[in-house]
Amino acid sequence: MIEVDKLSKTFTVHQKEPGLKASLKSLFVRKKITKHAVKEVSFRVEEGEIVGLVGANGAGKTTLVKMLAGIIHPSSGDARVLGDRPWKRSRSFTRQIALLMGQKAQLWWDLPAADSFLLLREIYQIPKEKFRASLDYLVSVLDAKEQLTIQVRRLSLGERMKMELIAALLHSPRVVYLDEPTLGLDLTAQRAIRDFILRYREAHRPAMILTSHYMEDIERLCKRILIIREGELVFDGPLDKVVQTYADHKVVTAHLHKQAEPVRETEELRAMGQVDACNDVLIRLRVPRPRVAEVAGELLKRYPVADLAIEEVDVGTIIERIIRARKEADTAALRP
Amino acid sequence: MRLFWNIAGIEARKRMSYRADFWLNSLVAFGTELGVAYFIVAAMFSGADRLGGYSRNGMLLYYVAIILVARVVRSTDLEWAIADDIYQGALSRYLLYPVSYGVLKYAAQIGALLPAFVQVALFSAWVPFVLGIPEGIRLTPATAAMCLGAVMVANALHFLMTYPIQLVAFWADNCWNLLIAHRLVAMLLGGILLPLSLFPSWSQPLLNALPFRYMFAFPVDALLGRLSVAEYASGMAIALGWCGVAAMLSAAVWRRGTLQYTGVGM
Repeated sequence: MIEVDKLSKTFTVHQKEPGLKASLKSLFVRKKITKHAVKEVSFRVEEGEIVGLVGANGAGKTTLVKMLAGIIHPSSGDARVLGDRPWKRSRSFTRQIALLMGQKAQLWWDLPAADSFLLLREIYQIPKEKFRASLDYLVSVLDAKEQLTIQVRRLSLGERMKMELIAALLHSPRVVYLDEPTLGLDLTAQRAIRDFILRYREAHRPAMILTSHYMEDIERLCKRILIIREGELVFDGPLDKVVQTYADHKVVTAHLHKQAEPVRETEELRAMGQVDACNDVLIRLRVPRPRVAEVAGELLKRYPVADLAIEEVDVGTIIERIIRARKEADTAALRP
Repeated sequence: MRLFWNIAGIEARKRMSYRADFWLNSLVAFGTELGVAYFIVAAMFSGADRLGGYSRNGMLLYYVAIILVARVVRSTDLEWAIADDIYQGALSRYLLYPVSYGVLKYAAQIGALLPAFVQVALFSAWVPFVLGIPEGIRLTPATAAMCLGAVMVANALHFLMTYPIQLVAFWADNCWNLLIAHRLVAMLLGGILLPLSLFPSWSQPLLNALPFRYMFAFPVDALLGRLSVAEYASGMAIALGWCGVAAMLSAAVWRRGTLQYTGVGM
């Protein structure tokens, strides 16, 4: 459904130093810099798949999504979405895709959402019966009936996001791009949006690309992730493989019976693993996978353990480490 | 076509959903323009009985008419909307739709005509009672119909003339000054600042050939019965010709501009 082949995007931007003198100078001479927002990215997304696109701010996620939605043209490379080149914006392409931007309202701000939906019915030429059925389904799943007739600008962020989702999905797109769909929402609203996305995927089987800074979005919704760093794709694979491949250790936490003296970070403790915390109530160690059972036994034997937990490293931490590791490798490669 | 009228309807509803803004825009802006026009006419006629074929009241009527026509032709503040969409990144949303952005924006401009027509109706009703029908002016249902046709073409021409200028925002981000320059030139050469009959005779062929006259002065001349049928027909043909030229230019600039678009602001 989505095929991306060595897609790149380069921007030329002006640079200006701070201060009045620099402002005056910039009226005559400007320093231009070339920014490689996306560098030769290749991947495929199949029908019914939700792929998480993760990376730091400015990594190139939104630029990539904008290219795949046909909003901006690439500098080089190629992409096919439903067989079309997105930036050609053919009618058949635009009728089958949707892009939801969490940080940008796409509905008509001064009108109730119901009016916007009627307009979208005309824009996408959705048959009346299909429109009614789609709207009823989306409104009931999102529990959004009450907000339909309220001016969009008067809705809360969570309510507005529900309306944005309805607007994006009314025409039953086969490809959906979700850019930070839960940004700024409270936990209840985040959960509601996540549940809805999963239900929608089950019912309609679209190909979806999701960008989010909330790891819970990625963990709940995506089986596969793409990690992008400074425009480059540095990982493409199953989410659980990230943990297996990059987390060579587990976190072992021993909750202790309260003691008069806090536990000291001794050589003996360091020999078990990397000490993340140790005090009078707990010991937390990062232990290499093969040694987890042995270290757990040692802790139980040597300390007054009340409870013991063995956990995988948080996915967000692993992703951060992948990004950092590549950066350090690049920096090392540049050193003379 | 239903989509076109739906967009127009939405814009009309949007424009009239803020009552205070509507009345402030109607009373303050119109009152100011009318006051300025009154003092200009008073100054112009301090030592003359007739100027450019107009009596004092005839000239006042011309200014009232051109202020109202300009309000319809410009459709309030939509002449900035496209550049603003590009600058703010709001264009991205429209690029996702399977319809032409230009058509959507023109539909919105047509929608904005409804409140503009309400303003015209409110402020033109008293004119015949105050100024009467001055000498040399012919106001009939036929001239009103000619004016309406010319206003609709003027509205399209104004949209098509400002469209490629606004698209400069693809390159320059900020093209307000260009739009202001266009506005000033259009006000001068379109007959808003001064009736075109006051310009020197050597400039008349040029004024007739340029598009600005057909945006403002031409519909007013039609309304006041100052055009023969032949003059009206040739004027409409020139205006439609300019519409074609501007549409072709717009399409070319749009094609190039969207290659530059970065969607910044989203």
